[in-house]
Amino acid sequence: MVRDEAGRLAPGIALAGIATAALAVAWLSVTSGAYPLSLSDILSVIVRPAEADHVARMVLVDVRLPRFLLGFLVGAVLAVSGAILQGLFRNPLADPGLIGVSAGASLAAIGVIVLGGTWLGRWVAFAGEWALPIAAFIGGSGTVFLAWRIARRAGETSVATLLLAGIAINAIAGAGTGLLTFYSSDEELRSLTFWTMGSLGHASWDDLMVAGPWLVLALVASPFLARPLDAFLLGEQVVGHLGYRTDWIKRAAILVAGLGVGAAVAVSGLIGFVGLVVPHLVRQVLGASHRTLLPLSALLGGTLLVGADCLARVIVAPAELPIGLMMSLIGGPFFLALLLKRRII
Amino acid sequence: MRLTVVAALCALLLPVVGQADDRRVVSADGAITEIIYAIGAQDQLVAVDTTSRYPASVADLPRVGYLRALPFEGVLALDPDVLITTEEAAPDETLERLARAGVSVRQLPVARTPEATVGRVRAVGDVMGRAAAAERLATELEHQVASVVAKRSEAPAPRVLFLLAAGPRGVMIAGDNTAAQAMLETLGAENAVTGIQGYKPAGREALLASRPDAIVIAETRPGQFDIDDWPELAALPAWQQGHHVTSDSMLLLGFGPRLADALATIVRALPAGEQVSQHGS
Repeated sequence: MVRDEAGRLAPGIALAGIATAALAVAWLSVTSGAYPLSLSDILSVIVRPAEADHVARMVLVDVRLPRFLLGFLVGAVLAVSGAILQGLFRNPLADPGLIGVSAGASLAAIGVIVLGGTWLGRWVAFAGEWALPIAAFIGGSGTVFLAWRIARRAGETSVATLLLAGIAINAIAGAGTGLLTFYSSDEELRSLTFWTMGSLGHASWDDLMVAGPWLVLALVASPFLARPLDAFLLGEQVVGHLGYRTDWIKRAAILVAGLGVGAAVAVSGLIGFVGLVVPHLVRQVLGASHRTLLPLSALLGGTLLVGADCLARVIVAPAELPIGLMMSLIGGPFFLALLLKRRII
Repeated sequence: MRLTVVAALCALLLPVVGQADDRRVVSADGAITEIIYAIGAQDQLVAVDTTSRYPASVADLPRVGYLRALPFEGVLALDPDVLITTEEAAPDETLERLARAGVSVRQLPVARTPEATVGRVRAVGDVMGRAAAAERLATELEHQVASVVAKRSEAPAPRVLFLLAAGPRGVMIAGDNTAAQAMLETLGAENAVTGIQGYKPAGREALLASRPDAIVIAETRPGQFDIDDWPELAALPAWQQGHHVTSDSMLLLGFGPRLADALATIVRALPAGEQVSQHGS
């Protein structure tokens, strides 16, 4: 029984398919890049790391491996956060950008880039090379917290107010970013432009140390939200009737998405479309149950982002395209095609 | 595998035992690339960055992207012995990783004065193993710049409006802390617009209010500036009297081997300088 009455794939088959694709991009990600490495180079690094050529080892172990892991985690977290927020808002257009995470994180990051020499000099001196990612993380989760506080009235969180507050906060953060852009010097402008286009190109083990725990935490926590989010599909009252504490579910969902996306944006810049497109794709194939939607979104999100990154690094070699740009280039037309073909919204 | 090890060893040993001219060099800065061509060391170049646009033959070389966003693998894949760039190069991680992979990373100071430009020519000569050619170029450049600047020194300081044009909507006024300001200072001219940091979008009224004695327009690509889009500029006395010049931004702002040309180009637009008739763009 491969497909049910609605024409949806059995979860096991879809899981096997995506897992195979994930392994394929993992291999592709480690073996492809501008620097030519033969299969024997790679094998010798794996089998006898001490005797392998030190440049080959560096390319594999210090560059491609952390890049693959970070790309997969970031893609997975963005997709899962998108799925959670779409469930919470019962709105297929919701994505992590909507509640202000990305806008808050980028405002903080661009603030560090532009004001690092003046107003934020002390912060930069204190936090050193972590100044930017930590600020982005604080900015991202801070804006989510703010939106949530605004939406909270008499112990209840209004989802509609949360959405509207998110939109307003987005606009304010966007204006702040614009203002900083205006006051930035030429060099700052270039570096913040690259930051807003998103990049995995500078991924290192240090980035993984900083962001990894939060990303993994968000992924591990997400399955606990699956059943309550299924209930949310039937309406907010139903959630209460089924015995869940509605407000706790909302808080947990916002916390998971906020921390996860905050950490993702902090190390990789702004990467769009994964959070929007991936959950839709999975729903198309497997239906809307969050018990399958969340884990498969994670797998597919990671796979897609790593796949796009493989393309981004070879397509204009020896230069590299920013991954956020690549993702939107692939994701935009793909999503449109899906929309025209199946009318999914 | 054995071949790779041998090749890597050779690459490591080359700077020591090989001829300097056999080295593979990646240049990530427009002015440095110009100097490399000017001292005849272009055979060693294997790639450049996106700011390297002069001379025209650099277009045949692979590009490693922008010097502030250098890709580690991209540069390493070209198997370079030397990466020559400026202190503006980034990110630090890439530079540090390249150094660990055995690439000699040479970051020269940013040049914003004729002295620094001449120093940069000599430094590039040292890195490329062409000290004699670089010395000739440096001496020549010093001499040329001095003769252009000498023509200016007695004249009163003119007020110059310096614009950077990157398309019809992308015309920006050059303010403090820019290469444009440094060019004006070199010539003993004043910036007609004060109180702006870096390059800022040009307001039409601000252009009128600046009342410059001369107008210099640096185009990021030829044809980026069209005076028909800017009637305010055409209305300024400086424009009507022909005290204006439009030229390539890499020439005017590069502080490279064409510095004397660049200075002479600006001088020709200045009212008290050599009067050479200019026609609009």
